[in-house]
Amino acid sequence: MRSVLKKSDSNVIALSFLIVVILIAMALFMPDRFYTMSNLRSIVFQFPEYGVLAFGVMACMISGGIDISLVGIANLSGVIAATIMLGMGKSNLSIVLGILAALATGLLAGLFNGSLIGFLRLPPMLVTLCGSQLYAGLALIITKGPALNDLPDNYKFIANGSIGQIPVVLFVFIAVLVFVYFVMNRTVFGRQVRFMGSNYEAARYSGINNLKTTLRCYAFSGLMGAISGILMSSHFNSAKSDYGTQYTLFSILIVVLGGVHPDGGRGRVAGVTLSIILLQFITQLFTFLRIDTNYRTSAYGFILISVLVITMISDKRRLRRMT
Amino acid sequence: MKTKSRISELLTSNQAVIIMVLLVLSIAIGLRNNAFVSFSTVVILARAAILMLIFALCQMLVIISGGIDVSFPAIACAAMYLPVKMMLNYEIDNLWFPFGMAILIGAFFGLINAVLIASLRIPPLIATLGMNSLISGGLLAFFGSTELSRLPDRLNEMFRSYLFTYTASSGLTYSLTILFIIPVVLAIGLSIFLRYTTMGRGVYAIGGNRSAARIAGFRVIRIQYFVYIFVGAVVGIGAMVSCILNRAASPTNLMGSEMMIIAAVVVGGTRITGGHGSVSGTILGVTLIALIQNNLIMLGIPTHWQPFILGFLIVLGTAFTSLKAMASMKQAKV
Repeated sequence: MRSVLKKSDSNVIALSFLIVVILIAMALFMPDRFYTMSNLRSIVFQFPEYGVLAFGVMACMISGGIDISLVGIANLSGVIAATIMLGMGKSNLSIVLGILAALATGLLAGLFNGSLIGFLRLPPMLVTLCGSQLYAGLALIITKGPALNDLPDNYKFIANGSIGQIPVVLFVFIAVLVFVYFVMNRTVFGRQVRFMGSNYEAARYSGINNLKTTLRCYAFSGLMGAISGILMSSHFNSAKSDYGTQYTLFSILIVVLGGVHPDGGRGRVAGVTLSIILLQFITQLFTFLRIDTNYRTSAYGFILISVLVITMISDKRRLRRMT
Repeated sequence: MKTKSRISELLTSNQAVIIMVLLVLSIAIGLRNNAFVSFSTVVILARAAILMLIFALCQMLVIISGGIDVSFPAIACAAMYLPVKMMLNYEIDNLWFPFGMAILIGAFFGLINAVLIASLRIPPLIATLGMNSLISGGLLAFFGSTELSRLPDRLNEMFRSYLFTYTASSGLTYSLTILFIIPVVLAIGLSIFLRYTTMGRGVYAIGGNRSAARIAGFRVIRIQYFVYIFVGAVVGIGAMVSCILNRAASPTNLMGSEMMIIAAVVVGGTRITGGHGSVSGTILGVTLIALIQNNLIMLGIPTHWQPFILGFLIVLGTAFTSLKAMASMKQAKV
């Protein structure tokens, strides 16, 4: 137990260290471009939409599964919200209804994933892989292809507006972060997810209802997908069935980099949060250096694999030391 | 009693269910469109299924061994684009070079997958997902995104080599390319391999229960290496086939095809948790998906329904196989 704690802590320390290194490097090499209000603001406008997704993936990965349907859920939620708002004439009531419907969509989609995984004991990666197809497919059926544009101004305000100099979306992200932290660390459910992830059978024998935990876990993840969908559609002022497809890889990368073990059981909200910030800095660095999208995709894939290799090798070492 | 249960078992077996679905679907399409009921449909379907068959058989092997590979579209793109680019740059014009290079490139990436999955024990989905973006991004970034549509002559010639040509009563001719031999050979080879060789049985064994297979004396890591390298090499061949059939080498056009392939494999009765699956089932699965893909419009279902229907089919297919597995587990307990 102690070594596990130490491992997570060392991960948080390593991430913080990397962030500080980037901040110092920025201060040395491009202080006039990085430390400007407009740059900091642009950073804050970008990361919440995929950061929230990463929290969903995190919960599922800690539970011993994975969720790659989240981008599909996000797009479906966004499309449903947009359809309601456009259909009801962009009134404020329609915005509220749209957001509620989006959240409900996310919950339902997550519950659907969870029930296939829980009741039928299907592997999470397959269920959510189909799920991504299913939800994006539903969104495509609703939109028939083209994007739904021109959303209400008050809705756009969620991801594009600011209070003073501070973007509204930062408050949304912090609220989500507090909620996620509370759920994962201060509730029985959070504990159960962790136990189930570290040993499914042992969790069952110790009286945890694994089915219920699985259902709740994927519903929670679906909810995160829906929130991300709202942020994305608000940010782009449009909803479509295939926005943000690169976020699937990106969210898994964040979670793995944040110290969540792909086999489940281990991982901390703090690590994932730091990892979100670190990756946003790296993205910003790529933008400054004008590195094109294809190099970035390749680089993210490379980082993901390297992090996994390091995790697995250090795992093996620890096992050897224990025996 | 025993014969009765055997008949009912036969009727509810995956293959039988797919054949029934295929029949119902064909009759429905045939009723709506008389042109469907002809030999030309078979030729069109066979041509459309060539690529899917090659990739699906590969994916089946990986899934039986307990893994999954979502990096094959990217591997295929690399194995198609790089050899053709080299041929054009260095004015090489023969058939051995592109196929040989494609196999080498495929096997190389297969080897990397094997190292990550077999030796380092990284979960296959995450490892291949990472490889997918690493390769596809790298390909586009370092070698450009322009489609090479002027192929070397020998590859173009290959496009016009037919197994047979069929002239319909309407005067239209339908030809089946000679490349159809490749999936046929692969299917026959794989079914012999899976049924009659120790290594083939080992693939089932490690997919069913890794530790039990190890204790039973199978060399788990070696088998996994074989599976991923072999699959990489065959994907390379498939990539060249796709290049010849489309008469162009594109670094992107196979991207995103993984869902369809996995759908075909899973619908064909391969259990996604590993250890179960057959070549015949996969062929039926591919036929079903190809039929749906090519004829949804004939049934009056708009194309934008396609992703949803594919996703739904996989869910149905997996739920069906999983329920059957659970039922047989229960039976075994009693």
